[in-house]
Amino acid sequence: MITRSEAEDLLAHEALLLDRRDWDGWLALFTEDCAYWVPAWRDEENPTQDPNTELSLIWYQGRHNLEDRVWRVKSGLSVASVPLMRTSHHVSNILVEGEDRVAASFAVHVHNAKRRADHVFFGRYEYRLVREGDALMIAEKKILLMNDYIPAVADFYML
Amino acid sequence: MQAMIWEEVKALVDDRIDDGWFSVHKRAFTAQEVFDLEMRHVFEGGWVFLGMASQLPNPHDYLTTTVGRVPVVVMRDGEGTLGAYINACTHKGALICHKRTGSGRLHVCRYHSWSFDSAGKNVAVKAMKDGAYSDAFKAFDRNLVRLAAFADYRGFLFGSLVETCPIEEHLGEARHMLDLAADQGEDGLELVPGEVLFTYDGNWKLQLENCADAYHFTSAHPSYLQLVEKRRREEKANSVKSVWGENSAWSEMTEGVTGGTYAFEQGHVVNWQIIPLSDTVPLADRAEILAARHGEKRRDWMVNMRNVTIFPNMQIAENASSQLRIIRPVAPGLTEMRTFCIAPKGESAEARRMRIRNYEDFFNPTGMATPDDTICYADCQDGHANPTQPWILGYSRGMTSVQQGADAFAEVLDMTPDRSQPCGSQLCDETLFHSYYRAWLGRLKAGMERAA
Repeated sequence: MITRSEAEDLLAHEALLLDRRDWDGWLALFTEDCAYWVPAWRDEENPTQDPNTELSLIWYQGRHNLEDRVWRVKSGLSVASVPLMRTSHHVSNILVEGEDRVAASFAVHVHNAKRRADHVFFGRYEYRLVREGDALMIAEKKILLMNDYIPAVADFYML
Repeated sequence: MQAMIWEEVKALVDDRIDDGWFSVHKRAFTAQEVFDLEMRHVFEGGWVFLGMASQLPNPHDYLTTTVGRVPVVVMRDGEGTLGAYINACTHKGALICHKRTGSGRLHVCRYHSWSFDSAGKNVAVKAMKDGAYSDAFKAFDRNLVRLAAFADYRGFLFGSLVETCPIEEHLGEARHMLDLAADQGEDGLELVPGEVLFTYDGNWKLQLENCADAYHFTSAHPSYLQLVEKRRREEKANSVKSVWGENSAWSEMTEGVTGGTYAFEQGHVVNWQIIPLSDTVPLADRAEILAARHGEKRRDWMVNMRNVTIFPNMQIAENASSQLRIIRPVAPGLTEMRTFCIAPKGESAEARRMRIRNYEDFFNPTGMATPDDTICYADCQDGHANPTQPWILGYSRGMTSVQQGADAFAEVLDMTPDRSQPCGSQLCDETLFHSYYRAWLGRLKAGMERAA
């Protein structure tokens, strides 16, 4: 059983790591075989449901895929990641659902200093958490991005 | 704002090919008055791509889109016949169909309840009898306004707001490139559910060029290329395999012809590259079937990378996966991209899964390649605000090696492009862009003459 206060601590910690660009710390929150999923939208009202037959914005099984994404933004080889955007993650309405599921709302404020532009990505997080030893880890994270009209780039650290 | 005259528009393209010179003026990318002319005469003045017939499979289905600034609906009537109309009530102009795709036998305008059937016919005016209408009004055609031209070429739907040439003439020899896509499926092509929309801060012609631009690939995408190479080495479970990790065609050591370009009349172009058949190709498990049906050489062409542009607003990129793009200009420095994973009907679940995974990694604005392109476009748009050296120098690679007509690879397809550029990986032809700007000027000229 997961308590709401445990869930709140984990989600706030995750947001902090992302905003501090401590991405290695962020990766360490995920289990090795984690699923990370940002569905696309089938139409105006319905997100895609099946990553094997429908398109997602991002779909990965395995933390090593997230490690690749982290490597890319740190590499200096990605045009879209130099300079990096500034982010501020706001996570709220955190609720534990059932044994191991957590739902939350998010708004990520993104500032593009190069283009002097601001953007907000918003939507809902859905997690499945597991205990590994003393630690509460993320086994699944689904990011339901409500405003999928994307100004050129939306990388993992902005969602 | 002073409207431009034709001589000023014409002067934006410095086409002196016999002197070895071709350039486009940066104002073509930045000026509002050029953009206004483009909307009216390029997008609203000739054939543009609307969508796929597979998006409206059943009687009474519809899809909505825009042609230039004009809202358009394509509908299938009760008999299954497709028609394209201005998506606006003939009463006061309110939109009639409201979803990207939908269905309805009868479309009742939400504002004053005029009704239209799925063939665009105005079947009712609310309280007609009590309306004290004049005979002149009663005699007026109140049906939804049909596009001046509409065509379904093998499931690819095109329309034009003005009378224009037959679609076969518009597509010309570039139709072979659409055939190569359409022939892959058991019954044509379909769009994988999930439309991805994004914008970039740049002119629409930057996207037009980038799709056909081999020169940027190793410069803008090293992070992606290094990752697919790393994944190939490590062979981890649940890693996406990609054709880019599989072949050495981008290596400077590669000798001989590794691909090339074709440029067609009406502004269509393709940039292509030889991709060997391997397990990273989604068509691999149907390779024998496709060879039996179409011959080995055509099958091999289906496997090759092909980035196809059908002027002015449609692109199909078949490389790591397969993407259909619809380019919608919003402003001189803002473009909206509507993007879909396009796939042959009837492929295996495993092939489809691989196609989708590669699509997400490469093509999405949340992926690892496209954002590196679109941010470059924004950089170009900023740099184009440069009156001291206003001529773009990106139209010159391949100038002395391009050949007229077909090369040996085109002959396999019985295809006769205007120009061919068979080449090694490092030539990276830029002369194919010339066709864009000749077609661009052609539409602008025809439109400005029509308007005069």
